[in-house]
Amino acid sequence: MKTDHTQPLEYSTEQNNLNILGFWIFLGAEIMLFGTLFASYFTLVDRTGGGPSGAEIFEITPVMFETFLLLTSSFTIGLGVHAMRLLNKKATLVFFGITLLLGLAFLGFEVFEFFTYVEEGAALQTSAFTSILLTTLGTHGAHVTFGLFWGIAIMMQIKQRGLTPETANKSFIFSLYWHFLDVVWIFIFSFVYLKGMM
Amino acid sequence: MKELFPRKQVMGFVFSLVLTIVALSVYFLNMSFAVGMTVLLVTAFIQAGLQLIVFMHAGESEDKGSIYINIFYGVIVALLTVFGTLLAMIWGY
Repeated sequence: MKTDHTQPLEYSTEQNNLNILGFWIFLGAEIMLFGTLFASYFTLVDRTGGGPSGAEIFEITPVMFETFLLLTSSFTIGLGVHAMRLLNKKATLVFFGITLLLGLAFLGFEVFEFFTYVEEGAALQTSAFTSILLTTLGTHGAHVTFGLFWGIAIMMQIKQRGLTPETANKSFIFSLYWHFLDVVWIFIFSFVYLKGMM
Repeated sequence: MKELFPRKQVMGFVFSLVLTIVALSVYFLNMSFAVGMTVLLVTAFIQAGLQLIVFMHAGESEDKGSIYINIFYGVIVALLTVFGTLLAMIWGY
């Protein structure tokens, strides 16, 4: 495989460039997936049946924590990719590790939030509103959960094999995924929570 | 140590925090639904663009044309789905 040394490692081979473009195309499909979830959410948001409405169950404090945790993790993985371009393996691993810990804390808050909802009588089967709410939040949360395992695998590979064109490529693609999840969360934060509490 | 914190990304992070605080004002300040939604739409889309350009490096490789076309296509399909659904199911046309 031809290696172009003028480029960062993750772009250094033809295969790497194709992998990155391919992942962007996947993210395009993910945007559409979340688009359909938001369309369903806006349609069903007032169909609360006998259950609670958003304004009754949403709480600002955990949502603020979740938002700042995910925003910060998006920043730290950006720093991880930057450290990777400086070929600083240790700093790359530290930043990726911080990112995953922040992601784990985010999930902790989300699980806690889901328990609170169910306690307050807003389970998956309660009403059309609670169904689509938990499906939308859950799809995002499942993506974050998957990302945690993916990130751990990437860190293990960097640790074992060092920063090669392959591991750098995988790490960069993982960073794209993680930033994308942050973007989706911004829309959930704005149009599910803040709109619901306004 | 300093080289690990590039100015562009630190500024991007600070700006994203500011956008989040502006979005939160919708909850903490008293404003009409229309004004609140406008604030949220503006902050959310700026925030998404910021992530795309500063953190995801969308425009730095030779494939940037394909990447932007693909993302715009995804966003257009998502917006048509959302607003088409609202038009047919909620606004009652």
